[in-house]
Amino acid sequence: MIQFKNVTKNFGSINALNDVSFEVKNGEFVFLTGPSGAGKTTILKMILHEILADSGEVLFDNTNLAQIANKDVPKLRQQIGIVFQDFKVLSERTVAENVEVALAVSEVNPDEWEARVKHVLKLVGLSNRSRLFPSQLSGGELQRVSLARALVINPKLILADEPTGNLDWKTAEGIMELLEKINKEGKTIIMATHHEGIIKHAKHRVIKMEDGRII
Amino acid sequence: MGIHTRTAIDAIKRSPFQAMSAIFVMSLTFFVATTVAILVYASNKSLNYIETRPQIIAFLNNNVKDEEVKLLQSKLSSDIRIKDLKYVPKEEALEIYKKATADNPLLAELVSPSIFPASLEFSVTDLTLAQTVISEVSQEKVVEQVGFTANIGGEKTLNDVVNRLKSISNYIRVGGITFVAVLGATSFLVLLVIISMRMTSRKGEIEILSLIGATPAFVSKPIILEGVLYSVIGVLVGWVMSFILWLYVSPNILSYFGQIPVLPKDPMSFFVLFLLILGIELVIGIILALIGTIVAVTRSLKKPR
Repeated sequence: MIQFKNVTKNFGSINALNDVSFEVKNGEFVFLTGPSGAGKTTILKMILHEILADSGEVLFDNTNLAQIANKDVPKLRQQIGIVFQDFKVLSERTVAENVEVALAVSEVNPDEWEARVKHVLKLVGLSNRSRLFPSQLSGGELQRVSLARALVINPKLILADEPTGNLDWKTAEGIMELLEKINKEGKTIIMATHHEGIIKHAKHRVIKMEDGRII
Repeated sequence: MGIHTRTAIDAIKRSPFQAMSAIFVMSLTFFVATTVAILVYASNKSLNYIETRPQIIAFLNNNVKDEEVKLLQSKLSSDIRIKDLKYVPKEEALEIYKKATADNPLLAELVSPSIFPASLEFSVTDLTLAQTVISEVSQEKVVEQVGFTANIGGEKTLNDVVNRLKSISNYIRVGGITFVAVLGATSFLVLLVIISMRMTSRKGEIEILSLIGATPAFVSKPIILEGVLYSVIGVLVGWVMSFILWLYVSPNILSYFGQIPVLPKDPMSFFVLFLLILGIELVIGIILALIGTIVAVTRSLKKPR
């Protein structure tokens, strides 16, 4: 599904990625790990077409992302569910509206919204929080909103950038259980984390990075 | 309610003072625009009225014979520059005089029909031809003197009258349009500033939307809708204010101008005229809002990669 072929990316004099190559297959759950500044987030941003490689190739379903026109970037992103460390939920919308936004963005028929939102909120355990605003939720609940928003569009791939970074161990475990469950349903997941406990516990393939290289 | 409409209304609720200032400036612009449109309409109507009513009177010699009058009448009738030709015999001239001096009957008693010359009254198809026609008619043997009716400020020739009227009409048109254009530009800039501020305050939200696959159109729609909403409300408020003003002053204006139809006299035509102006203003307002918001949104969405 995802292929990085000798990818290099520099930000000025900073070498963010240096000749990185790896592949993630359909249905796989892969951890990207390494210290801060290792290049984990850069990889996720490249898959999202937020930044482009200076050299090498990034392929999504055998399509070279460098060749995607700007106008087609939204279509690419609509196939990817993304979960952020800082949740990135819309603060002035309720939980249900936050999830609805993803459906609106993906141009899903509004008649389907209610059922899909209900289903996904039930999946992440937020059925009774649907009318609350983000300011009324805990960190773990906010991350579940972020996950629900990523899942509701039924994406091919889920990118999770330190989804447990701001959570306590017990809440993080809950999020991981959800991700495992989703992965078992056939979704491909790439998760950036430096949470050793989670990596050991989950037993999935690990791509270890340091200074922009895979080690 | 659609998601974009909800977002636009939420944004307005969140910053009511920005919304109020945008609507206020828009209202002011369209209030002035409606008022100027009516002034331009009224000046055009009065100019048209003066241009098309009989303006030239050829006073005939006292001893003119009927055949000579008929001959001149037929000559003038066949002239394509002349229209609405009418013969006014001495008796009718006296009647006109009596009517004009009805408030002082003594004046009418003191005169006899013989002192009023018979005349031929007519108008010209184009007022620029008036002076030439007057000169030509003056040369006729049976004509003693040629005069003109429209006179608004002691002008010596009909051309002066026309030029003065045209100047007034032009002042209203150019002055009014300039004023409306300045206000329109101000509205445009205010809208641009407010939408840019809105884009800045929504920066975080826009980033999130963009990351989850929102197209620029999806991001822009509620903001464009907001701009259009300001504009439409502004047009309606400005138009209603001007409509009420004209409703209030129109009886006095109509009575002051008397015969000159500066404004439609029947309520239906009056309302239709205002509806027409409203339609045009809505189109202009929406175009203004679309351009303003699209410029602001495009500038804000430009992002280095």
